[in-house]
Amino acid sequence: MRTSQSGRDRVLDRIRAATATIARDGADGRSAYVDLPREYINRGNLSHAAKVALLIERLREYNAEVSECTPSTLTDAIHHKLAASNRRRFVAPPGLPSAWMVPGFDWKIDDELSYEQIEGVDGVVTGSFCAVADSGTIALHHSPIEGRRVLTLLPDWHLCIVYTSQVVETLPEYFARVEKLPTLVTWISGPSATADIEMTRIKGVHGPRHLNVILVQD
Amino acid sequence: MSKIAEDPVLDPTIALPFPAAALPALRDPQLRKNVAHAIDVIQEKRGKLVVEKSDWQALRVSAAAIRTHALENLGSYLEQFEARCTAAGGHVHWASDAGEARQLILEILRKEGADEVIKIKTMTSAEIQLNPFLEAAGLSVYETDLAEIILQLGHQEPSHIVVPALHINRSQVREIFAQSMNRPDLPDDPQALTAAAREYLRRKFLQVPAAISGANFLIAETGGVVIVESEGNGRMCLTLPRTLITLAGIEKVLPCFNDLEVMLQVLARSATGERMNPYTSLWSGVTPGDGPQNFHVVLLDNGRSSILEKAKERQTLRCIRCGACMNACPVYRQTGGHAYGSVYPGPIGAILTPQLMQMRHAQSLPYASSLCGACYDVCPVKINIPEILIDLRAQVVDQERRSLGKFFDPLYLGLRIAALLFSRARLFHLAQKFGRIAAGLFTKRDGWIHSMPSVGGKWTQTRDLRGLPNQTFREWWQTREADRRRGR
Repeated sequence: MRTSQSGRDRVLDRIRAATATIARDGADGRSAYVDLPREYINRGNLSHAAKVALLIERLREYNAEVSECTPSTLTDAIHHKLAASNRRRFVAPPGLPSAWMVPGFDWKIDDELSYEQIEGVDGVVTGSFCAVADSGTIALHHSPIEGRRVLTLLPDWHLCIVYTSQVVETLPEYFARVEKLPTLVTWISGPSATADIEMTRIKGVHGPRHLNVILVQD
Repeated sequence: MSKIAEDPVLDPTIALPFPAAALPALRDPQLRKNVAHAIDVIQEKRGKLVVEKSDWQALRVSAAAIRTHALENLGSYLEQFEARCTAAGGHVHWASDAGEARQLILEILRKEGADEVIKIKTMTSAEIQLNPFLEAAGLSVYETDLAEIILQLGHQEPSHIVVPALHINRSQVREIFAQSMNRPDLPDDPQALTAAAREYLRRKFLQVPAAISGANFLIAETGGVVIVESEGNGRMCLTLPRTLITLAGIEKVLPCFNDLEVMLQVLARSATGERMNPYTSLWSGVTPGDGPQNFHVVLLDNGRSSILEKAKERQTLRCIRCGACMNACPVYRQTGGHAYGSVYPGPIGAILTPQLMQMRHAQSLPYASSLCGACYDVCPVKINIPEILIDLRAQVVDQERRSLGKFFDPLYLGLRIAALLFSRARLFHLAQKFGRIAAGLFTKRDGWIHSMPSVGGKWTQTRDLRGLPNQTFREWWQTREADRRRGR
């Protein structure tokens, strides 16, 4: 690949010339980063129950379907969701607990399935990394229990299992939970949608048209 | 189908001045209705969400500070981004202008043997006029964002940076889809139209070998790229093809991953009036077994570095392209986007376009504003747009008055005469006397001037002018002093 060395130099030289006169503290202006104002709300003040209730409310506003269960009733809850969806063929990321692959359905485990194979299933079941109540957002970091990105993209129906211990109130609380800087993240807030025609929100364009969430009280 | 506009031109080098370019839109009631409806909906939703957010002003302050800091240290952060992205398996290219960027992208696609390419909505690619270039080189280019499909199939130009087809209503969309997808039976409800777009693109997503995206943010700390979207077409383009090319303006960089905790809170609320957009994707370089294995970033300057030097103008580059300023703008509301003669319309376009053109084109845009300040109020990164508009107006005036062609222009001639009169007291008083006589010829009995000939008519066309008083303050003062001395 031709890397335009001259293009790089030209652009960087112009930037350097234009920013050379900016007064900086010390030799490296970047040290000022730590002092940038951050007066916004970092930690929320809701109780655990209120936080979970807010997440449910916000997810439902996006037309996601939400149900609650306990760890002991989780497999029943999954079974109930799958049966109610009238779908048969499901795909599971490689790290999905085998108990979650409830009997009575056709399961495919994603060990390098082709896109065509994934396109051919009716739905997908995954875990999650974290959920943000304030904005109704689920964060997928694409670990083995969440699956690679295509898995939660091509199937039209997505069931995402979220433990209530994974729920935070504010977006900054999610960022505080991230220990290792991720290389892949998908933040999902409801099923795919568009408002491109007369600002009318239409659920379901290219991504999954159905987002289901089971909140497990733990 | 009602005509949408008389072939709008979005190339600032050849576009008409704003007042002339606005005329077709002002004469098209359907277009104005479509635009007003769309921005009313977004404005209302945004307003509710901003009120709900008790720390909104603190978020704006932080967002502005982070963006300012990134721009002040842009060279350093871009190099860090380049190093981290390269270490993660990506290829980083630098393009100093539109031509270089187009050529780089074409070379990458040729090398990959791609003759078809799918695209996520990117204003930057529209800025460099990428699609016509690639098509002329024999490639098939497929837009995948619903609004962009409408524009591409209907041979239309974008009129908004977030909702590019907001000037087109559902029945117009139906016409476009029915014709170009050969589906005459298509109804005009948005649900059916959206489903038609899904079917139209499904095979493309799975078959086309290469994709082109823009970038909402580049993360220096991780070499990551962030795309904020709604439909999932973005995720399709970022995940399914073998090759991905991201075209990003150099100003898009953020120092750290955690800065997203601010930017993602303000962006969706400002752009579409949602607490969060349905999908936000972040990826760094190449991940084995997940997504494109061949990833390129093209960093585009194209005039941006020339805006960095002055602190006031530098604010322009903080922009995160949310479109809140155009939704709030009383001028945009009347004209829609095409009048701005650029892919960047509205208040941000009025300051960005002439600066990207290094003040050689689009000089009418700084005047396309009432300076009401609504854009500044809503801007999530606190760009003081009115302040920059005034500064750019001064630059335009400086340019014009030095140009030979404007030497005898009545405005500049008048201003030069005024400068002469105002600097000499006797001339000034003489001018006042003659002015009173001259103005008296046009002053009606109610004390107002309703119409004047020649250049003066430009003022009285839309406003009345108060006639000059019989006595100036100085004259009154002098008679008063004289009367006092006489002991009255």
